Amino acid sequence: MSMNQTMTAELFFQQVPYILPEITLAAGALIIVLIGAFMGDRGSRLVTWLCVAVMLAAGAMAVLHMPPEQVVVFSGSYAADGFSAYAKLIIALTASSALLLSVDFLADKKLDKPEFPVLAMLATLGMFIMVSAHDLIALYVGVEMQSLALYVLAAYARDDAKSSEAGLKYFVLGALSSGLLLYGCSLVYGFTGSVKFDVISAHVAASRDIGVIFGLVFILCGLAFKMSAAPFHMWTPDVYEGSPTVSTAFFASAPKVAAAVLFARVCFEAFGPAQKDWLGIVVIMALLSMVIGALFALQQTNIKRLLAYSSIANMGYALVAIACGPEFGPKALLVFVSIYAVTSVGLFGVVLSLRTADGERVETIAGLSGLSRSNPLLAAALTMLLFSVMGIPPLAGFFGKWEIILATSSVGLLPLAIALILASVVSAFYYLRIIKTVWFDEPVATMVPVGTATALTLTGATFVLAALTLLIGLVGSAATIAGAGFS
Amino acid sequence: MIGLSHYLAVAAALFTIGVFGIFVNRKNVIVILMSVELILLAVNINLVAFSSFLGDLVGQVFAMFVLTVAAAEAAVGLAILVVYFRNRGNIAVEDLNLMKG
Amino acid sequence: MSAEPHAASGLAETLAHVVVLAPLLGALICGLFNRFIGEKVAMFVATALLFVAAACAATIFIGHWNHSLHLPAKPIRLATWIDVGAFKSTWSIRLDAISAVMMIVVTGVSSLVHLYSWGYMAEDPHKPRFFAYLSLFTFAMLSLVTAADFMQLFFGWEGVGLASYLLIGFWYHKRSANDAQIKAFVVNRVGDFGFALGIMAVFFVFGSIEFKQVFDQIPQKADMMLAWGVFHLPAIEIIAFLLFIGAMGKSAQFFLHTWLPDAMEGPTPVSALIHAATMVTAGVVLVCLCSPIYEAAPATAGFITVIGAVTALFAATVGIAQNDIKRVIAYSTCSQLGFMFFAAGIGAYQAAMFHLFTHAFFKALLFLGAGSVIHGMHHEQDMRKMGDVARHMKITFVIMLIGTLAITGVGIPHTPFGFAGFFSKDAILETTFAAGMTGNTAAQLAFWMALIAATLTSFYSWRLAFMTFHGTPKWKADADHGHDHDHGAGHETSDSAHAHAQPAVAHVGEVAHDAAGSHDDHAHHAWHGPHESPLVMLIPLIILAFGAVFAGSIFYDAFVGHYAKEFWGNAIYTAPDNNVLKDKYSVPTWVFYAPLVVMLIGLAAALYFYLFNEGLGKKIADRKGLAHAFLENKWYFDELYEAVFVKGARALGDLFWKIGDGKLIDGLGPNGIAAALNFGSKKAVKIQSGYVYHYAFLMLIAAVALGAFILYRGA
Repeated sequence: MSMNQTMTAELFFQQVPYILPEITLAAGALIIVLIGAFMGDRGSRLVTWLCVAVMLAAGAMAVLHMPPEQVVVFSGSYAADGFSAYAKLIIALTASSALLLSVDFLADKKLDKPEFPVLAMLATLGMFIMVSAHDLIALYVGVEMQSLALYVLAAYARDDAKSSEAGLKYFVLGALSSGLLLYGCSLVYGFTGSVKFDVISAHVAASRDIGVIFGLVFILCGLAFKMSAAPFHMWTPDVYEGSPTVSTAFFASAPKVAAAVLFARVCFEAFGPAQKDWLGIVVIMALLSMVIGALFALQQTNIKRLLAYSSIANMGYALVAIACGPEFGPKALLVFVSIYAVTSVGLFGVVLSLRTADGERVETIAGLSGLSRSNPLLAAALTMLLFSVMGIPPLAGFFGKWEIILATSSVGLLPLAIALILASVVSAFYYLRIIKTVWFDEPVATMVPVGTATALTLTGATFVLAALTLLIGLVGSAATIAGAGFS
Repeated sequence: MIGLSHYLAVAAALFTIGVFGIFVNRKNVIVILMSVELILLAVNINLVAFSSFLGDLVGQVFAMFVLTVAAAEAAVGLAILVVYFRNRGNIAVEDLNLMKG
Repeated sequence: MSAEPHAASGLAETLAHVVVLAPLLGALICGLFNRFIGEKVAMFVATALLFVAAACAATIFIGHWNHSLHLPAKPIRLATWIDVGAFKSTWSIRLDAISAVMMIVVTGVSSLVHLYSWGYMAEDPHKPRFFAYLSLFTFAMLSLVTAADFMQLFFGWEGVGLASYLLIGFWYHKRSANDAQIKAFVVNRVGDFGFALGIMAVFFVFGSIEFKQVFDQIPQKADMMLAWGVFHLPAIEIIAFLLFIGAMGKSAQFFLHTWLPDAMEGPTPVSALIHAATMVTAGVVLVCLCSPIYEAAPATAGFITVIGAVTALFAATVGIAQNDIKRVIAYSTCSQLGFMFFAAGIGAYQAAMFHLFTHAFFKALLFLGAGSVIHGMHHEQDMRKMGDVARHMKITFVIMLIGTLAITGVGIPHTPFGFAGFFSKDAILETTFAAGMTGNTAAQLAFWMALIAATLTSFYSWRLAFMTFHGTPKWKADADHGHDHDHGAGHETSDSAHAHAQPAVAHVGEVAHDAAGSHDDHAHHAWHGPHESPLVMLIPLIILAFGAVFAGSIFYDAFVGHYAKEFWGNAIYTAPDNNVLKDKYSVPTWVFYAPLVVMLIGLAAALYFYLFNEGLGKKIADRKGLAHAFLENKWYFDELYEAVFVKGARALGDLFWKIGDGKLIDGLGPNGIAAALNFGSKKAVKIQSGYVYHYAFLMLIAAVALGAFILYRGA
């Protein structure tokens, strides 16, 4: 018994390095929340910087401790591999960038309390767990950990009716989707006899159970909600619009990466042998997301709403990558979502910087009129980011889409590639309309200069994008290594 | 003899009631919170029933996690609801559409 | 008569390299580096290089003429240009009698024009650009005349077209100059289209575009027919015809002549170089170069004869009613080109080349002389505002007189006494008559038309001389605004479509002209009457004057006389039954004297109208008679083309644009789809109602639907 205990303890400590990033985040969050509690609102700026540092450190750890091949620890419930390490790095980078963007905005709105960065960090912890989850319990806990923090972030501007409504809507629909996900988990557990992905996979390979299929459908529906893929996307525009813009910036980047990676892992690892079954769902969701993302955005006048539809369309593209299967999908998915997440942070960085001299926040497209004259640097950054998200070569966004199209051609899913291109063409219209407003319309108001943290992030995002353009080969090979675990 | 299917049927019924509670009810947000709880309970019945019939403890552990998360979820949900009520003065679901389109 | 002609062959090759490459070098240095080395240095380099080229070309030409230099039989290959399957083109220098003649004409006139421009363009702010264009033109023209295949010919053809376009619009501030350059370009496109088709047809029929290979195959392909729609036509005739279309455009022949008078909007040195001596003769060169083709295409040759004769007569009739000094000379050029063409058409290619040669001297002389007058009159071009200029510009007057004597063909038959034009024009008329005697109806027609044209040539040339240099001075009357904006027929005719409706255009153009910095800025306040031009302008005139006097008598024997066969060698091919060059000695005596007689008739008429009864011409013009209006408006060609082609093309374009592109393609395509998407998205957005219960319901429906879909597919 005692020997057994020693062995268990030894085993436990052997496995700890693989969850070091998560431990860092959890411990960091607890310590920082204490610091915040002692320092009160004065400490919010310090807390933010601390959170950023801890998150970056966690992301770095994930990459540094990346095992050469997939290692599944804690009795098969947690996976450490290149796929998760890459995703964690991107999540840490974009989440901390979004956090940096929040500093000026929150101070301006008198919302600069230490809770915001800590909540964001806890959500990041949830995302880390999501991308490494290797059984249904870890999956559920990760998703809920992320979601609960995000609900609060949505309702963070507590004196703002729109913000609290956004929080409530997000919460109600999120709870429903969690219910669907959980119900699916229970069915899968019951019919396969295990919550572990490898056992589920073996069971699916052996027999096709109606119960498991239903469970799969429910799980995918729940996850689709988290990554805001149509037809489970309807919360996205409302929540994006209502939430404080800093929260929206956060929603639009890191959680999308986490959800897409988790979706891919569930499809490839847990239900790999049932590709025939989930492929149909993924294709339908991808097509719907691309159509709705492109079509609905045409009518938007609010930038945040527009970006919400843009993110729906982009998740449609990510689903196309997932549809390409375990051999070609992971690389395309990782390249695409990492570029998308960086672009998204950059775009929200611009939106966050739009402040007129009398303190008004600009949220409509018309408010961007003549930005090129009042703030040419901001206008140039916005233009470049929009061109990137449109997929204009040689900007990074082009290569993201290019990888997906390559992957589709490898597996013969050309109709999806054509749909992707058509959706990109339609989306280009509304992106170009913004560019036109920025450069050719008469200025309506003068924008005040951007705050330091925002400028830093914005420069960073633009720079990273530019660098990605040059380093796209590197990103590609990193993603190839990262995605190699499945094939 | 009460078999697995009976438990599953009850759970399915509870789940359905919970889901309907979310979109049929148009008056009170509290009812939605209760419906969410119903859904989670349905899942728990499923998990425990499977656990028992499979002779596998993981299902019950899962149920414990679900209960914990449900508690946290209820807390967060109620907190947001309070904030919402302070801003709008009511909690009618029909009024919950400042944002649309 | 060198004893070792072969030893000199290498020398000819070296010289040819210099001739072709020096102008290119000049253009590059002057055009690209004038900021680094300074304007004056750049202009000097360009001019000096041109004189070097001219000296080399002269050495080649004289050497070939007196047999001291042997021209290489094979073209010098400089570089491979195109090598795609059977389609090969090489940048090469072809050295034969035609290219030797053309090289001396081109470099000779070009170097003199370069020199002349130092004076004429003295006060222009864009001199280096002007010189660079001139040198570029010279290079393009030299590549044209030294081409050994049709592709390089086409390159040179387009190159001179480009240079012409750039130089006509050199004063780009002038609206009329811009219109003129576009007109020149567009009209030439018509010809070039035919030319390009002709080259394609050559490649299609012969499988090569190299002159030698093409010409060698002609006997085998003589009977080949090409199907063209329902027509079956001889391949050689088609090729000959298409190539001639190109020649018509470039050489401003009837139907495609309308651009040449308008091209006078360019600076006068340009008119002298491009639109008189060299570029416009490219068509004649083409026909002579392709003599093997035209000898095998009698129908097209007849067509050329008729077109040439009609042009000669038509342009001469128009010339008598023009008042702009440059336009008169422009129509005269057009008319003389007609002479060359019908000579080539009847098979007297040598006579055509001879006239080209002498014409280059006296026409450049006339243009530069006119430029000198214009310069002296402070950019007055209307002859009605001149008169009595001879007293103030004595040297220019003498030179213009020589030019006039040369163009009208003054000389004594059967003696070596005569001006250059006399020998070449007589050669043409005599060969044409000789061809007519063999039963060539087109030649008979051409002879009589040419005789009338020669009469008219004499008349308008002397009219020009008398109106400009004699009579009462008209410029004193409006001396205080010696720079009249009305500017006479010059602008009215150049903008025939616009000028009457928009007098402001001419005005603006004139102001811009001033702004462009032409050198009459000093004119307005200190007008002391015409003044003689500077020496730098007179020297080229004097050199050309020598040519205009002696070029005919010296080279007659070599070009069209007893040594012609020896001189031309393989460059010009004449069919065995083509003896016009010999037959011209056996025409009736009156034919020899006819040109002299008609010249005297023209002179007498001009004397009567413009010297003895000064003002009579003006009276006739003021009556606005039908005939006069017809001539003054150039047979209403511009109006006709405006109505048919310009308006027609615009209507067609409107049809395609508004109905075809706008309604059909855009309407059903981009705009239609965009509208449909917009409409669809407007409707679709309503789904996003904002109500939680709608969203939740949709989620559940979607989940159930997806589950059902998977089960259905699995089953």
